[in-house]
Amino acid sequence: MESRILKPILAVYVALFILFLYGPFVVLTILSFQQGPEGGPQFPIVEWSTYWYRHIFGLTEASRVAPLPIGTSMVRSLTLAFMTMVTSTVLGVMSAQAFRNKFKGSDFVFYLIVLGMITPGLLTGLGVALVSRNIFNVDRHWWSTAFVSHVVYTFPFAFLVMLAILNRFDASVEEASWSLGVSPIRTFRKVTFPLVFPGVLSSMLFAFTLSYDEFSRTLLSSNEQTLPLAIYGTFAVEIHPNLFAFGVLTTLFSFSLLAVYAILMALSVRRAKKVAIQEEIA
Amino acid sequence: MAVPAKTSSSTAWLLIAPGVLWMTLFLVIPIAMIVYVSFWTQTTFKIEPTLTLASWQQFFGSDTYLTSLWTTVRIWLIVLAATLVIGYPTALYVGLFVKSKTLSTILLVVCVIPFWTSFLIRVLAWRPMLGKEGAINIVLQYFGIVDHPIEALLFTELSVIIGMTQIYCVFMVGPIAFMLGRIDPNIIEASRDLGAGFWRIFRKIIFPLSLPGVVVGAIFVSVMVLGEFATASALSGRKVNLLGNIIVTQVGSLKWALASVVGVILTIIMGIVVSLFLRVVDLRREL
Repeated sequence: MESRILKPILAVYVALFILFLYGPFVVLTILSFQQGPEGGPQFPIVEWSTYWYRHIFGLTEASRVAPLPIGTSMVRSLTLAFMTMVTSTVLGVMSAQAFRNKFKGSDFVFYLIVLGMITPGLLTGLGVALVSRNIFNVDRHWWSTAFVSHVVYTFPFAFLVMLAILNRFDASVEEASWSLGVSPIRTFRKVTFPLVFPGVLSSMLFAFTLSYDEFSRTLLSSNEQTLPLAIYGTFAVEIHPNLFAFGVLTTLFSFSLLAVYAILMALSVRRAKKVAIQEEIA
Repeated sequence: MAVPAKTSSSTAWLLIAPGVLWMTLFLVIPIAMIVYVSFWTQTTFKIEPTLTLASWQQFFGSDTYLTSLWTTVRIWLIVLAATLVIGYPTALYVGLFVKSKTLSTILLVVCVIPFWTSFLIRVLAWRPMLGKEGAINIVLQYFGIVDHPIEALLFTELSVIIGMTQIYCVFMVGPIAFMLGRIDPNIIEASRDLGAGFWRIFRKIIFPLSLPGVVVGAIFVSVMVLGEFATASALSGRKVNLLGNIIVTQVGSLKWALASVVGVILTIIMGIVVSLFLRVVDLRREL
């Protein structure tokens, strides 16, 4: 049987593939523990140290390596990601709700929304910059022009996630609640929302992480630096292991977001199960 | 439920209106604006709405820009092929060979996790990997495969291709594995019983059935690679200039009209590429 030979070969291949995906990051992590401030961004490790991590937080003595310019830009990025998250989730829930009934022009609207996630960021950024400069004559800021172009990107994700959730959603549960005389607001809180909560949570996670990390849209549509722009600015000059240390920290931050998401998701699944069991008993 | 169709349709439009408005104002109009501005008149520091073909002539009359057009197309084709060739076997294993649902989910998650980390950091991570004193050269020298470090690894077109392949591979693996996972194992079983070898089964059944996944993956990868500029500038030492890099540098020197011309050309290329892919497979029917 050929698959007896093929399967182990493919298994080894997949292991190598995963090495290819993770290798660079592992190397970057190792080098982030380089000795400082003389140790460079390459092997060998002169001496293991946490110098570059302390360097990021300004806990080291001044040296020829300038600290990463991330203070203000990080506050901007987090605020922007939060604004983007709220807006695109609201838009996503509303639009997906509209799609529960087929309406005239729904095909067109579907493609219009999806266009936002496949248009390259550079073009969205360029277009938004041109409109703001040459039509409205307004300055570009992270909270205005960059914000709207981030939502153009994240709203389609929220929309698709909510669409998938609502497609599986049985509308008769809501109708049952209404016909039992429960007010629409209470129905939404007690019936609809718990059912769509996993979708809302996923949309929020997508929107936040995508916006927090968004680079090409922001580059042309914001005058001020957000975190990715600040990081990109340091690429042009000589790089130091402090960038690596920062990479490790920002990855840890993304993973902790993912962990919060997983915990909330698990809690909501457990609650759903509990309700199901109660129903069975009743 | 006898809800008049008109009422439900107008409720739907109320719900959808903000989204449609947002996309029209901040996506459709901006893109139309790029097309419009590409015909504006460029003076040293500003642009004026007097229509002219000057910027288009400037683009097509310059070797620098035409070279970058060709570089973009070449790198796109190479990266597309590389992600397919490297990603397909992985998808094959994850989607078809792994029998346990849990294991295949875990493997997919492992592939997706890097996507969760910062894009720029992933690009940057290739520097200590590919450099003259980088990890790959150290390993190669340690095993005596090469005597002198290979300098061609970093700050060349090759490094851009390696970086992009790693970053975008996931978008190929996911859709293909998804389509492979939907293949009914009985079909493969039946053809095996009828005496077909693996290669024949692959050619006649597995690959054709995975084609919609390949097309979706190819569209993702193409659109992202064609609109790229950061990987090129960070890993090629500014030697590789993609159309995206031209846009950024032109905007940097306030040449908005020329940047717009490049933007329109990029949009046209992407439109052609996507519609060609969609011609291969009727996605709406297949998915």
